[in-house]
Amino acid sequence: MAAFTLWWQMHAWRTPEVLASTRFSRPDGAEQLSFSLLLPARHEQAVLDHTIRRLLESAHADFEIIVIVGHDDPATAEVAHTAAARDPRVRVVVDTHEKKNKPKAMNTALPHCRGDVVGVFDAEDQVHPELLAHVDHAFRATGADVVQGGVQLINFHSSWYSLRNCLEYFFWFRSRLHLHAQKGFIPLGGNTVFVRTDVLREADGWDPNCLAEDCDLGVRLSSVGKKVVVAYDSEMVTREETPGSLMSLLKQRTRWNQGFLQVYRKRDWKQLPTFGQRLLARYTLMTPYLQAVSGVVIPLNVAIALFLDVPVGVAFITFLPAVTALVTFVFELVGLHDFGKQYGLRVRFVHYVKLIVGGPFYQVLLAGAAVRAVWREQRGRSDWELTSHVGAHLAHVNREDVPA
Amino acid sequence: MTSTLPAATGIEVPAQRTAAPTPRSTGRTQPPQRLRSSRPDLLVCGLLLVAILVVQGWNIADYPTLSDDEGTYLAQAWAVQEGRGLAHYTYWYDHPPLGWIQIAVLTWIPALISPDTMTVGTMRAAMLLVSAAGAVLVYVLGRRLALPRWAAALGMALFGLSPLSVVLQREIFLDNLAVMWTLLAFALAASPSRHLWHHFGAGIAAATAVLTKETMLVVLPALLLTMWRHSHRDTRKFAVTGAITACVLIGLSYPLFALLKGELLPGVGHVSLWDGITYQMSRPGSGFILDEGSGSHGVLQSWLYYDRVLPLGGLAGALLLLLTWRWSVTARALAGPALTVAILALVALRPDGYLPAMYIIQALPFLALVLAGGTASVAHAVLRKRRREGRRPHARYALAAVLALAASAYVVPRWYDGARTAMTTDANAPYQAAAHWLGTEVEHPADTRVLVDDALWLDLVHHGYEPGLGAIWFYKADLDPAVTRTMPRGWRDLDYVVASPTVRRDAVDLPNVRAAIEHSAPVAVFGTGADRIEIRRIQQAGTPGGER
Repeated sequence: MAAFTLWWQMHAWRTPEVLASTRFSRPDGAEQLSFSLLLPARHEQAVLDHTIRRLLESAHADFEIIVIVGHDDPATAEVAHTAAARDPRVRVVVDTHEKKNKPKAMNTALPHCRGDVVGVFDAEDQVHPELLAHVDHAFRATGADVVQGGVQLINFHSSWYSLRNCLEYFFWFRSRLHLHAQKGFIPLGGNTVFVRTDVLREADGWDPNCLAEDCDLGVRLSSVGKKVVVAYDSEMVTREETPGSLMSLLKQRTRWNQGFLQVYRKRDWKQLPTFGQRLLARYTLMTPYLQAVSGVVIPLNVAIALFLDVPVGVAFITFLPAVTALVTFVFELVGLHDFGKQYGLRVRFVHYVKLIVGGPFYQVLLAGAAVRAVWREQRGRSDWELTSHVGAHLAHVNREDVPA
Repeated sequence: MTSTLPAATGIEVPAQRTAAPTPRSTGRTQPPQRLRSSRPDLLVCGLLLVAILVVQGWNIADYPTLSDDEGTYLAQAWAVQEGRGLAHYTYWYDHPPLGWIQIAVLTWIPALISPDTMTVGTMRAAMLLVSAAGAVLVYVLGRRLALPRWAAALGMALFGLSPLSVVLQREIFLDNLAVMWTLLAFALAASPSRHLWHHFGAGIAAATAVLTKETMLVVLPALLLTMWRHSHRDTRKFAVTGAITACVLIGLSYPLFALLKGELLPGVGHVSLWDGITYQMSRPGSGFILDEGSGSHGVLQSWLYYDRVLPLGGLAGALLLLLTWRWSVTARALAGPALTVAILALVALRPDGYLPAMYIIQALPFLALVLAGGTASVAHAVLRKRRREGRRPHARYALAAVLALAASAYVVPRWYDGARTAMTTDANAPYQAAAHWLGTEVEHPADTRVLVDDALWLDLVHHGYEPGLGAIWFYKADLDPAVTRTMPRGWRDLDYVVASPTVRRDAVDLPNVRAAIEHSAPVAVFGTGADRIEIRRIQQAGTPGGER
């Protein structure tokens, strides 16, 4: 398990050539595709206006923004309508479902999309103005059906778990997704994901009953052989924030894990053509289960080696998982350094210490979320526990352009 | 973007490998991406390998003289095979055990088929595998360090055919195994694909080398330099830390092993890693190497006796490369091996360090590489430097030919002599005769106690002597409490002492052994002069083997 983690974690850095291939290539200036950008927003009046303004700054010539608000959420709707009145490229779609969730909202908006490509963002995202031009070029240059851009949590200094959370994103988008794309099985991310509109309609949009509709879409599209391209560029990533409290992080993680389990049980991945792909799918989607088990097993192993009187050989073997975990730790430290470099952030010594000390606790948290997800799935509870956002990344990173 | 590659890689296609390799800024000649599929390389390397195996393998059991150290390592490997622990006596952390564990693996199958073959002379054949791997790795490393094909071949030939190499690489020394691992680490560090896991592997190989023979520690900075030069700026951070982490973690398994056995720190009634290290660090020095009359100087002379070309030429090559660092691309490409030679030379020049005869083994491949690199540098200067169209290329080629001929005229006769000696001399007849005598002339081997050096120890075990307390490695009669306890009356509890040159030399410091020699008379003598082997029976009232 730890060895696998290490393998995907370091995928992007295997050789300089691989690293170079994970980046966006420079756009050629010709812009031919039109974009419909979906922006589902729910009780997010605090950050929505800023996000829309920022999206409107995009350098691309041809795009529309479709803000999706709920009929029972007047505050957010008001912000959206104001923005629509200000700029003709912004439109508002109202979602009238009784029980609301993100996939339902996006499915509501799908018929209204006029662009060649549908892009998804979250209400609190900071999107780079050059991103659309790069995505446009990526679609045309590679003939892809789906382009997944990078998403990065930035507020690593907020708390010990946000530090780990940021780094998790860093490794996921910087490295692991590329491996998935290369192997032809990819769980997509929740935003900064772009799909050709016809492909999306063909797939009937998102699954309204799945807690990880993004992952599910990726699995369904790769199962039918659609080409997914991942590109990561530290300048071009969509910046986000970590959940505001430990509890909300736990809830978010529980939802993802449960979503993964749901996707696993939907069995769409069984259509994947090769055995290796199916194995990767199985392994990826089972991660919550495996995480729950390994969270218990590794400490147990070390305890056995140290406290029980076992033969030297056996004790040696029980240390093996700890060794891979240690290697992962070291790579995480280097990753944190690289993260700081790439984003021009000052990573202090205390952050490295936090990363190390927080490691085991974060594992406990992940294991807890995994157990919780399994438990909820068994009990048949599948309502959304939405993460609330406070705008920490806006306040800290772009202090000057935050509206008071 | 904070980091870019010199060449943009066309379009971004994560779903496939990016085809375009990035040109390096050093302007060095590119080594071939896949040596495996380069027919000329395979041919050159293969032919040289055959030559090396013939010269090293022919007469391997009879030359050079069996050494006590070889016997010790093989006896320890035998103990591992037999499941008796990590050594034939108590393992006391003299060296990390990985070296003879590898020997045990290498000799496993022949020993299984015919247990009697587990003797020093016979099992030297296993070292041929190690030499072969080492020689091929020298070639690969040479090519990866951008040497032209002929120069890499020259390096391989120097490494495998120098009379000094032939003598030392035939012997069952841990250093030979450690050198193989070090070469593997260098080759992985210089991997043309600059793959993260290759560098990780280099770290593991380096740790294996150190755990095989701890002296390899001093070479690690040069390995790091090689890796640094061959990694790409964008991925270096991960590659280098990955390699260091791998090396450290594997290396730590040794103290961890000691800790789990409860033998990390000194204590009453058990050996410890700490004591082992203290012993190695405090071994009495053998004097300054350039000080005539010192032990170290004697060791140096013994190396130069076999070959002057490789040690002195290699040193000169390293010096040349370090001096021309600024102008020569070859010098920069060979920075790692040159630094290795420099480090090892400096360590050998300690004013009063302990300098064993096998010390030079770890330098041999690097001496060969820098000598080959220096030759390539000179050849380049003669043939290419400041060349303009039509300006007497013939003169340059003539000069090169004269130099090559002169070098060959000096080297070939000497090496021919060395190879002939190695392939024809029978240096071990006295040992074999002694082993035969002890196997046939002694009536009850199982009840007989013999002091013997390790070169013969396994022979005696195969002849039915009791391992450990019947066939006694002579040092243990004075130094191992578990053995001295069984000899309450000192030399009187022994029956024979086999006074080989090693035993006679070291008996000076070993009271029990000295007494045994003094109170015994030769019953059989094999060979003459200083190299003779005497089988001496202890003079005592009882019958041989009667009392215990």
